[in-house]
Amino acid sequence: MNCADQNPMPESVNFRRPPEVVMRLARMGSFHQTRLSFMRTLLRRLKKEQWTFDRPVWEIDSEGFGRAVYSVIGPVRTYSLVAFSHYLPDDMRSDRVIATAWDATFTLFDGVPTTDDLDRLQQNVPKQEAGRISDTEISLSRANRSVRLWNHVIDKLSIGEQPDCEQLESVGYLVRTTAVYGSGKFGAADRLTICDRPELRGPFQAELLSVWLTRAFAIDLVEDIAHSVGGDKAVVIDPDLRKRIGVGNSTGLGMAPFLFNHPTLINNWMMAREEAIARVRVVNEASATEVAEFVISFERAKFNFSNWNTAHEIQLNKLALLGDDLEKMSVYISSENLNHDHPWDRFYRWAEQELSLEGQEQLVSLMLEPYGELVDDLTDCMDADEHLSFFIDGSVTVAETLSIINSQCQWALSIDFDQPESQARFWYTSAEKLEPRVGERFDEPGEEYESPYAIGFYIFQLNQALLSWADTCSEKKPIADFLLAQPEHRYTLRRVQNLKNHPYAEVQDNVIASDMLPINLLRCKLSFFGATKFDPRSDRWVRICMYQDSPYPHELLAPKISGSAS
Amino acid sequence: MDQNQTMKQKQTLAEIEGYFRKVARATGLYWGLAEEAGKAARWLAAFNLPGPELMLSHLQKIEGKDYEQYKPVIGSDASSELWQANGQTLCPIITGAAIADRAKLLLDGHTISLGSAAYPILLAATIGQATRCHNIIITTSWANVKLSCYGNGIRIEGDHNDLWLDEIEAVSCQQSFDTLPEQLPSTLAYEIDSDVWQLVDELAFLTYAPATEASRAGAGAGLSDND
Repeated sequence: MNCADQNPMPESVNFRRPPEVVMRLARMGSFHQTRLSFMRTLLRRLKKEQWTFDRPVWEIDSEGFGRAVYSVIGPVRTYSLVAFSHYLPDDMRSDRVIATAWDATFTLFDGVPTTDDLDRLQQNVPKQEAGRISDTEISLSRANRSVRLWNHVIDKLSIGEQPDCEQLESVGYLVRTTAVYGSGKFGAADRLTICDRPELRGPFQAELLSVWLTRAFAIDLVEDIAHSVGGDKAVVIDPDLRKRIGVGNSTGLGMAPFLFNHPTLINNWMMAREEAIARVRVVNEASATEVAEFVISFERAKFNFSNWNTAHEIQLNKLALLGDDLEKMSVYISSENLNHDHPWDRFYRWAEQELSLEGQEQLVSLMLEPYGELVDDLTDCMDADEHLSFFIDGSVTVAETLSIINSQCQWALSIDFDQPESQARFWYTSAEKLEPRVGERFDEPGEEYESPYAIGFYIFQLNQALLSWADTCSEKKPIADFLLAQPEHRYTLRRVQNLKNHPYAEVQDNVIASDMLPINLLRCKLSFFGATKFDPRSDRWVRICMYQDSPYPHELLAPKISGSAS
Repeated sequence: MDQNQTMKQKQTLAEIEGYFRKVARATGLYWGLAEEAGKAARWLAAFNLPGPELMLSHLQKIEGKDYEQYKPVIGSDASSELWQANGQTLCPIITGAAIADRAKLLLDGHTISLGSAAYPILLAATIGQATRCHNIIITTSWANVKLSCYGNGIRIEGDHNDLWLDEIEAVSCQQSFDTLPEQLPSTLAYEIDSDVWQLVDELAFLTYAPATEASRAGAGAGLSDND
């Protein structure tokens, strides 16, 4: 979809924050979920289209091991989470990708699996990367139990009591996913197989559907085990407590290269988000209902803040700032007029002056909440046909290319790459587990295996090479001639040309600098998913919570009517 | 099972593209050209043509060789001169990318003529990637066969046996009109000999850094996950 041509509010362009403001790691690492986040898009669609829900298979023994199937049935297609629950010794419970066994493993099946399908999948899904799935499966994932909460919840439910609210809040989930693979990985259906389906066209819709159903599986499993243990004394979990249970996720560097490898897609995510913010800032008059809805969302954000636990110094500092920011926002809300005279634009401009990046980004997320009708259509613009931005227009001259770099890549040209700290890091993939890593260039071996993610440095080098070429050859020559002579710049030139129509495509920071924090990349991506409670465990490893406070399948969707299409 | 029967396995198109990008890098192409190799291998596999196998053969042949030997030497008039390599046959990836970069020549009605070139089907696939962007049909012709690439399909005319030639003395490339694709791409996994894929896997592996203590320690939280 060409969203630019369909913009119902062209004046918003004057309110849009430019890429040099948005595409900075510190700001990206302060993003919060919004109503455009992919989890919320998914649940809105399922509800609007009146999908139904079924659990056709529950073959779980008294200890909680076995297999189950959860199906959601839409107007055209059915998708089924196939879940396997396993015994896992405590000493094998690891969130790292180097793990080889998990408490539970999953695949999202395209349709309703037969018993033969389940038997085939049972031979492969528990092995994860070492197994093989097929074109009829869309995702592959696994999860580990939260030891802190799992046994506590079962113990309490089995004796007829509810779990301790404080303990439940402090963790926030029963299981933590440690990888959710899709898009053709390990044999799964290629992205092109599903990208024309309206329900899966948006980013990560299949993967997040599997996570949403995983949340339901975890609740069913603890209640089932509690019943096996406690018999008639056992109770089910209170719905209010149940709602507070999300799905955890533990993510390391494996997620970061996605932001480098998909510049057009990232541009579209960012453009949609920034356009949504701009549209709200254009609003001249806010109704009492809209203001009230904003205030409710603000109170929810404060509640979320009060339950946001972390032990990591980086996030502790950011949370301290966010706490102050929320106080300042409270004062602003109670003292300023939120109804008239471009109230949201005024609020945002105030925030730019008064709040930290955490607070600014919290505000823009909250500002979108009352304006679903104004911004939700932008979720249709968050996918990308990346093939179309693969091509290089070789007829563009060297001079024109230099001009593009000069106008759109000043951030790269302004970095002093002669300083060791500007080249201190290098990204690579470890042969041991095929996972991305960040190494110290001057202290560790392996630089020759560097992955091509240092885009700022490459743009700097390309600029130097083009200036030299312009001197010795001609700046009027087509860039195709330059590329044939110096093919090492082809990768970068492609990205530079892509900026013409995708100005938010590149992270405008030096990702090989000594002070670069990979968790900023992770948080940016996870916020687009809809994650909350970012809890860094190091500068390159973060835990989050997904779907906390969201409805469960049986709450959002009607049960499948017997005999209906499957 | 017949002892002589070759083991087969399925690889998704995404895997083919990703692995061949790495294989191309490992065998000496820069990342920008390696991306073209990955796309071309995927494109052919989507039509159940042995692009991955032929791409592997080609990349093995040029492994570690001098780029200058395989690139086209183009004078001041790319549209009328014969494109030839300096020393060897033209590399289909390097040459295909160079033609795709100059797609406007084809749009202007020019025919690009090449001298000796390796694996012309890989050349056609690499050039063919430009068809969707420009919404045109590009036909590459060699020996007794023509391969036309459309935005979302292909058409093969002539002797199919010539598709698999590993070297040819002359190739031409031009825009075509008013025909329709005879085959649309599949999105399903591609079946390939296991021993071929084993080689692909091994070559792709060369882009990964051997494990060090730092790489082992450098990714996780360094904290227990049994919580």
